[in-house]
Amino acid sequence: MPFFIVFLVTPIAVAVALYRRNPRRFLDGPSEDAPLRLLGWAVSLLSPQRAEWGQAMLGELGHLDGRLRRMRFALGCAGAALVLPPWGRAAAGLWAMIGLTAASFTLFAGLTAGYRLGAGDWIALAVVGIICVGYLLGASVLLRRPGVALPGLLGGVFATVAGLGMSGFTAVDQVTFIPDPWQQWVRVIAVPAAIGAAGTLWGRDPAAGRHVARLAALSAGLLQLLYATVAVAILGGGGPPDQDGGFTVRGTVSDRLGNNIVDLVVSTLIIAMVGWAGAALAGYLVRRKPAPAVPLATRPVQEA
Amino acid sequence: MQRNRPPSPQTVNVLKALAADPARWRYGYDLVSEVNLKSGSLYPILVRLADRGLLETSWEPGVGSRPPRHLYRLTGAGREFVAALSAARRDRGAARPHRRLSEA
Repeated sequence: MPFFIVFLVTPIAVAVALYRRNPRRFLDGPSEDAPLRLLGWAVSLLSPQRAEWGQAMLGELGHLDGRLRRMRFALGCAGAALVLPPWGRAAAGLWAMIGLTAASFTLFAGLTAGYRLGAGDWIALAVVGIICVGYLLGASVLLRRPGVALPGLLGGVFATVAGLGMSGFTAVDQVTFIPDPWQQWVRVIAVPAAIGAAGTLWGRDPAAGRHVARLAALSAGLLQLLYATVAVAILGGGGPPDQDGGFTVRGTVSDRLGNNIVDLVVSTLIIAMVGWAGAALAGYLVRRKPAPAVPLATRPVQEA
Repeated sequence: MQRNRPPSPQTVNVLKALAADPARWRYGYDLVSEVNLKSGSLYPILVRLADRGLLETSWEPGVGSRPPRHLYRLTGAGREFVAALSAARRDRGAARPHRRLSEA
């Protein structure tokens, strides 16, 4: 039920939010061309020390004509802006996520090779590799946004620990867990919404809350993938029999690894989407609170 | 700690292009075209040169709807660096045939 609600309601809520943010842009499309939007986005990720260089790239783009020429220039500059140091603390977060991903992927590949799984499993391994690279790229962008890295990574750890707290921490728990309805509500709605709301309160901005929820989703997905893959490595084809039964050892391992891929994608999407909603709701509630009254003596007009 | 690596061939090309007329302010896209570099390679090079004090920057005010434009030229230290680089290359060029002869 919670899955159904999330996947049905979220696209509608996203469309409504985009319309409310800028009705004209929603109906007519963006007013700036693609190269300018791309470069504007990439430049917004630069550290404050490099902000002038971002303006330099945008200024140069403003003097170029021709769609292809502009796009080539913007693509090159966007690539440079994404990697241009200094990264500050974000570098530590990115290295942690690279280590996490490399460990998961290596273990996944080791199990695929060790159990001599079939062609379909090698394709699944390639899919995991592509997903992991995508996650790392997304995380590298989010980690550079001011005030997002720490709450986002903490949110990912929180979601993972909350999930493990309900399923149990052993390897057997990972492959046999079927959540009760209340656990499903907590996992799918309460925890992601709390992460998004906390992100909004931390950054005092719903946009920051959305970024925190996205980073938490990516880091929780990768953490859960590692934990679940370690569980498969420990159990192999052993442990309790699967409900659908009739598998060989290879079939059981392949099935468990496949489940891990599905969990990776679904849990990431859920945390990102419900976290976004939680961030938006928290932002709305914070805005509705009346601002504290300012004493007359502190008003600039009075002082003048 | 600043590493003292020799400049890459691309950096040397940018330095040579800037040193060709050191008093003139240059635009980023002019350098992209002249040195035949991608913009994604040029800007990190310009940032490093500016960080090392070899490049000075300025802004040309925007005209009409066009935004302000960033300008670049070598500093005094930049010119000295290019001169030293050229001298070192000449010395190496002169030493290499001699060494080959001695090796032979």
